Amino acid sequence: MTEYRTHMKIIGDILSTTRDDLRDEDGATVTYLIRKANISHSRISRILKTLVSQGLLEQIESQGSNKYRISQTGREFLQAYKTFTNFADNFGLNI
Amino acid sequence: MEFLLENILNLVGFLVGLAIGVMSIIGFRNTGSPTLFRLSIAFLSISLGFFVIWTGYTIEDFVIKSGNIERWVQTLGIAIQTIGYFFIAFSHSIKSFFPKSSYFRSVGILPLFLVSSVQLEHIFRSVSFILLVYGAIETMLSYFENKNKGAISVGVGLGLLALGEFLGWYSFVFPESILYTASVTIKIGGLIALFIPVSKVPLTKIKFDGDFE
Repeated sequence: MTEYRTHMKIIGDILSTTRDDLRDEDGATVTYLIRKANISHSRISRILKTLVSQGLLEQIESQGSNKYRISQTGREFLQAYKTFTNFADNFGLNI
Repeated sequence: MEFLLENILNLVGFLVGLAIGVMSIIGFRNTGSPTLFRLSIAFLSISLGFFVIWTGYTIEDFVIKSGNIERWVQTLGIAIQTIGYFFIAFSHSIKSFFPKSSYFRSVGILPLFLVSSVQLEHIFRSVSFILLVYGAIETMLSYFENKNKGAISVGVGLGLLALGEFLGWYSFVFPESILYTASVTIKIGGLIALFIPVSKVPLTKIKFDGDFE
């Protein structure tokens, strides 16, 4: 059965990917994030735009394409997200 | 003895509700999660409900000294707590709370008719009982899905609060029995069980971020 993911969980997945999966400082391409976060191009574009405008991701122009890497604010948000995911889990809830 | 136990219960309820409510607010401010917002309302309501009753008992003890708390204060406090229990149940998707079968629907609202002739307080207690049982079952079911041990403690806590509400509601049949004391003691145990997993959440590196949503 497919697991239902909340909007918050998708954001958490994207930020986790940009923090944990990438060893270099270049950032992740949209294609890489689509594959890892498993969502459509149109949806991820909207989310990435929001995350960049909120300062959670940094957008880098590299060889004619956009790449994304996690910012310091994004790291702090991700830490808070993981802490409060555990907190909500105790109540049997998803954030 | 009952008076002292009531005071302890209401003070513990106020503090535990406040602690979980504040933690939920911090979570909401940091993540913008609507679930954490609902939990904030739930536990701040529960905390406020206990505070109202505790204040009633304290004023009675030091000012009025009539030997009995004003009935409307007790009813108001329990009503505010019921709002909190509703939001816990609502967070678990309240839709599944109402059974589709018309037979079960009629059975579901039976407790309300059973107590319709007695005070409003007992109606709130019976509604709280139903909401707490629902919350306890949903929390225990979530444990079987994600094996988070904290969910057992919260599930047991909600279950004990439900049992306490039930005994408190039922004690009006046997007013001078041990039922009411047992109800208050069980509810204190329930509140402590609720707080155990929440007390382990590390908040040291979390800071407010008002800019996000």
